[in-house]
Formats: sequence, C-alpha cells, structure tokens
Amino acid sequence: MSDGVLLLAAWLAGFAGMGWFALAMETHWRQACSEAAGPPAARLRAAGTIALTASLALCLYVDHPSMAALVWVMSLAAAALAVAFLLSWRARWLRVLLFGKPRN
Amino acid sequence: MFQTFRQAMTWLHTWFGLLLGFVLVVVFFFGSLSVFDREIDRWAIPESRFAPQPMPSFDRVLRPVFESMQPSRESVDLMRDRVNGPMPEHFDVVRQWSAYTTHRDPVLGLFAGYEVPNAKDPEEAVWGERTIDPRDGRVLSDDHFKIGSQFFYPLHYSLTLEWREIGYWIVGFSALMMLVALVSGVVIHRKLFRELFTFRPDKHQRSVLDLHNMTGVVALPFHFFFAFTGLVIFAGIYFPLTETQLKPLHDRHERIEAAETGLPHDRAGVAAPLASVDAMVAEAQRRWHARGMAGDVGFLSVQHVGDANAYVSVYRAGTDRIALTGEGIHFKASTGELLREDPPATTVDSVNEFLTGLHLQHFRHWLLRWFYVLGGLTGCVCITTGFVFFVEKRKRQHARQDSRGARLVDAMAVTTVTGMLLATLGILIANRLLPETSPDGWPGRGDLERYVFWGTWALAMTHAFWRGAPVARGERNPAWREQVLAVGALAVLAALLNWATTGDHLIRTIRAGYWPVAGVDLSLLAGAAIAFLVARRLARRTPPRARTEPAHV
Amino acid sequence: MATLTASTSRSAIVLRSAAAVLGGYVFCWGFIALAVAGLYALGMAFHDAEHLGAILAFLLYLTAFCWAFVTPSLRRAWLALAGGGAAMAAAASWLQHLILA
Repeated sequence: MSDGVLLLAAWLAGFAGMGWFALAMETHWRQACSEAAGPPAARLRAAGTIALTASLALCLYVDHPSMAALVWVMSLAAAALAVAFLLSWRARWLRVLLFGKPRN
Repeated sequence: MFQTFRQAMTWLHTWFGLLLGFVLVVVFFFGSLSVFDREIDRWAIPESRFAPQPMPSFDRVLRPVFESMQPSRESVDLMRDRVNGPMPEHFDVVRQWSAYTTHRDPVLGLFAGYEVPNAKDPEEAVWGERTIDPRDGRVLSDDHFKIGSQFFYPLHYSLTLEWREIGYWIVGFSALMMLVALVSGVVIHRKLFRELFTFRPDKHQRSVLDLHNMTGVVALPFHFFFAFTGLVIFAGIYFPLTETQLKPLHDRHERIEAAETGLPHDRAGVAAPLASVDAMVAEAQRRWHARGMAGDVGFLSVQHVGDANAYVSVYRAGTDRIALTGEGIHFKASTGELLREDPPATTVDSVNEFLTGLHLQHFRHWLLRWFYVLGGLTGCVCITTGFVFFVEKRKRQHARQDSRGARLVDAMAVTTVTGMLLATLGILIANRLLPETSPDGWPGRGDLERYVFWGTWALAMTHAFWRGAPVARGERNPAWREQVLAVGALAVLAALLNWATTGDHLIRTIRAGYWPVAGVDLSLLAGAAIAFLVARRLARRTPPRARTEPAHV
Repeated sequence: MATLTASTSRSAIVLRSAAAVLGGYVFCWGFIALAVAGLYALGMAFHDAEHLGAILAFLLYLTAFCWAFVTPSLRRAWLALAGGGAAMAAAASWLQHLILA
C-alpha cells in the first residue's frame, strides 16, 4: 500500500480515537446521542487508546521514527480539531463511531 | 505581589501575552507561510516554474559561474569602513565557493566569499550571490525577489529588522513569552482534557474563549516545541558566550579541532589547481550509499579556492530524517584525496539536530508540512482570539469609564491580524503588476515590492484606528469586517493576476500536476472563501450581551 | 482577570518584570557559561557542551521567569537570579582560566 493511504489510515485512526475519547465524556455523549443512559466510558476510552496506538504504529511503519513521532503528534492535533468542530456543527455525525448502536 | 499562584499566572498571561502577542501573531503567520517558502518563490518568479533539480555538475556548470562571480556592491559597501585604506576594484582571493539546494528547489543558489586586503578583522569577508538555472547554468536576474525565502522567511525570525540584530531579539523574547503564555495558560485553564473538544458557537465571549483554549491546547506540543526550538536555533545570538566571555576557550577548541580533523584553517599561500569535483561528489555518494543512505547532495563547498590547502566538502541533503543530517565528506581539492569523513553524531548532537531539524524542516514529507501550516495557523487563531477576548471583556467597562484602552488594543489587533493579511496580499499583487525592470532612477523591483508590503500595512493600520470609535462606545470596530472583505477580494485578485500575467491558471497547473503554483493559488482562493464567510458572520448584528459571564479568567 | 492587590504599584510591576527578564537572562548566561566550561573540563566535546547548555538554559529561563513573578520577595528574586547568575559566570571564568593555564 502506498504511504499516502497508510498515512490517511493513521489520521483516520487518530480521528476515531479522539472521537471515542470525546464520546466518553458525558457532555459530548449527550450532544451526539439523545439516549438517556450515559456513555460506556470505560469501553470508549479503551477503544480510543487502541485507536491512537494503532495510529502511532501506522506512522512508525511509514516513516523514520523521528519523523513518525512528529507526524503522529500533529495528526492527533488535526484529529482533535476535527472532532471538536464536528461536535459543535454536526454532533450527531459522530455516532458513526458507535456503529449505529444508539439509534435515536 | 500577587495573592495566589494562579493570580500571578493570570496577570502574566494577560499582559505579556497581549504585548508580545502582536509580535507572535506575525511570527506564527509568516512561519506558516515559510513552510512553503520555495513554492511561494515559484509563484513570484514565473521563469523559475520548473521541476526541482539535483545539484548539477560542478566541473561543467558551477565552476564557470563561480569563476565569473564578484562580491555584491552592497557587501562591498558594508565593508568599506572596516578596511584600512581603499577597497580594491577586483577581488581575487576566494575564501569559499558554495552551492546549496533542497529537494524543492528548481533554481540553485551560489555563494562566494572573498578575502578583503587590509581588513581590520582578517576573518571578515565580502560576499557575492547568484541564482542559476542548474539545467544549463544560465544566470537569473538578481532583481527577481524571492518573496517566500527572502522576505516571508526572514520576517518570521527577524521581522527584517537587521539593525544590531534587534529583530532577532524581539522575536526571541516573544518566543520566550510564548512559552510563558503556554505555561500560565495551562495553569489558568485547568480543564485541559475535560474541555479539549469544547467549542460552543454563538455564545459570544464564551465562544471566543472556547476557541482560544481549544486552539491553544490541541496544538500545545506544536506551540511549545516551535517556540522552544526557535530559541535553540538562535542560541548563539541570544547568548553569545563563545564570542565574548568564553572566547579564549572557544579559540583553543578551534585550534585543537583543526588539528584533529586535518581540514586546514588557513591558506598555505601556494597556488594549486582544482581536481575534478564531480569525481569527489561521486565518491561521497558511493560512501553514503554504502551506509544505506539516500545520496542527494544538499551542500557543496570549496574552501581556500586556488590554494594548496584548498578542500572540498560534500554534504548530504537531509530529506529522509528530521535531523539536518550532513554526513559531510571532505576531500583535498588539488588531488581529490579523501581527507575526512564526519564521525557519527554524539547523543547531544543528535538531540540538538532533532530539535533544530524539526523546526527547519529539510525533510521530504508533504503531509507533515501541511500539518505544520495547520499548527501555525491554530497559533494565529489562538493569539487573535486572545486579543478579541481581551477587548470583549473590557470594552463596555472602558466605555463607561471613558478609557481608551480597549479601543487601542482592538485597533492594534485589526492591524496585526487582518492588516498583516492585506500586506501579504499586497506584495503578491505588486509582484504580478510591477514591470519586469524598474524605470531608471527608481528603486529595484524587489525594493518596490517591499514598499508595497509595508505601505499596505500602514494603510490598514490607519484604517483600523480611524474606524475604531465604536469600540469606545462598547460596540464592534467596523474595520474588522471591512478588512476581512478586502482580504477576500485581494486574494481572488492575486490568483486572477497570476493567470492574467503568466497564463498559469488553476486548470492548467492542476492538470500538469504543478503543485507549487497550483497550491499557492488554491490557498489564496480557500483564504478568500473563508474571508467571505467570516465577513458574512461579522455582518450579523452583534448578539445581545451573554447573560452569564465566563466562569474564569 | 487578576485584580491586583492594593500593595501592587506600577513600580512593583516594573521591578518584578525586570527581575524576570534581566535577572533571568543573567542567570541563564551564568548557567550556560558554567555548563560549557564545566562539561568541557569534564571531557565533553566543546560544541556538545555548548548545545546542551543552551537547550537546558531556555527551559531554565522559562522556569526562572515564572518563578520571579510567583516568589513573594522581590529582593530574593533579584538576589537569586542576578546574584546566582553572576556567581556562575565568575566560576566559569575561573574554570576557563584553569583550563587554559
């Protein structure tokens, strides 16, 4: 696979991870789902951790470690920005990260 | 003086942040542009719009150009009063020839340094510079101003204030204050992670603060490391210890080093010919290859040209690492015999190279470059929202007290933010409109471009202050919206002028995959789109004052 | 926004800022000088000592700057920063003298 595709995957993994971390927070969970029950915080945070680790692994696979570390940190910043703006603009879209489970 | 730690931090953040924020926003913005300085150069110098070239043959292409070079008139003039007696007409003793290129340069910069007879400080030299087309050695006109690498980039680190390096000091102090603002900001904010993703639009003051916190925290590592590494890069200027207090120690080290490396510090005074440099370059590349490293030449120099002590240094272009790796290999110029291979970097050296390299970015990684632009622009948003928050918090109170503080800060914010954008667009537009050569008696084309830049900025400042009266009544300065509209219009105009004057419109550049110019045009148009959106929002009536004041700051 | 306490006068602010900016600078100057001379004397390469000193010095400057605003006594801030810096610089010159002798 080309480096470009792998780096895109790394960013998407970072985005998903940041999204899960956001959803693990009560306020953001309520923005995304109007469900009565609170977020499954522990599970979401675990998923977030795994996703961010996967993102780092992909970066390391593509570039020299010194470069990969920078790409990873910066891609997480871009991912966090994207999640934050999505939450304030189309919060319900983040439900895509829940694979459609909470339906309403 | 302050009752609590947090109070002290808040005071620091507010006042030092405000004062140096005006410098920092300029540093962040032109730093962001400098990530693509070479690409901006291509946009500004249409005749250099071709693919990046490797270092050409020294023997066939570079040597004839070097041999025809002489120091520039400016360099000779600067030297004039540092010489005992008159300056010669012609400079014969070449101290150094050097050529420098990166993986993004179609044209090649050549530099030559000459010894000055009777110089008060014999270490000083006069310098000449040429830009050539490496495909055929054709010399490009000196009057073609590299707006990206010779203007936006120096603005980023020295504000182009060269007098006594005052610009470097202002930027350095601002960088230190950036670090202070980050530390104090973290102390004040407290809810670093809990509010990482929090942006509540349409809440007036609260929205501004949300945006300030979010852009600051999300890119915190970027902000910290760039301010910090910027200081490390110029440590020698900020703490010139080895030229002052520790000069004796430094000189002793230099002597020992010259003896150890076998690279002569001085000329022998005996003339000697120059062997084939191409053969030395080939040998250097063979040695890099044997170590498993990409072998493009980034920097090539000949020291003590024409002398028996002359030596050639070949450095690798560090495109595949963050560190500005050099892996220099040195040869005796008269024979091509290998003198020395630079040893592997020590730990401290590696750390230093990583820190400076991550800031100076010689690597080949387009995604990371764009991430850097994003980081720089979040910095600009962070600082700008800081200004806006400062004004919004105070303007009604100042209006009641008949104080001019908020009005002044607001006008300065307009000047440094939108005024800076206008100045940037002004120089790009001037670059496309000015004639190829200035009429007789006029300043050079590059100088005129610079005058347009500063002139536009001064106009924007006048406008910002002239329109500022509403702030003193607790309302918004209409200059914000007017200048944002002007930014949108000028950005579109700049892209259109590029089409009109060179024929390189977007469809053509994108089809040809010529991203340097297509990228600048697309960025201009994207900037224009954002500007028009912002102007539309600013046109809405200022929302009624938010009922609840922000909980902190 | 911090409400300044009654005792905070304009001159207190100026003196405090000067302690942070100038005192911090002197302190870091002394630190680098001592680091370069000291590490070189201990056998580290000259440029390594220089780089290491500078890298640490900027972090130190940041700390010293903030500390100067936090510490209650202005006199102590000046004494520690300017005094400490001068002492370190003097030690560095003495070390240099020993190395060169």
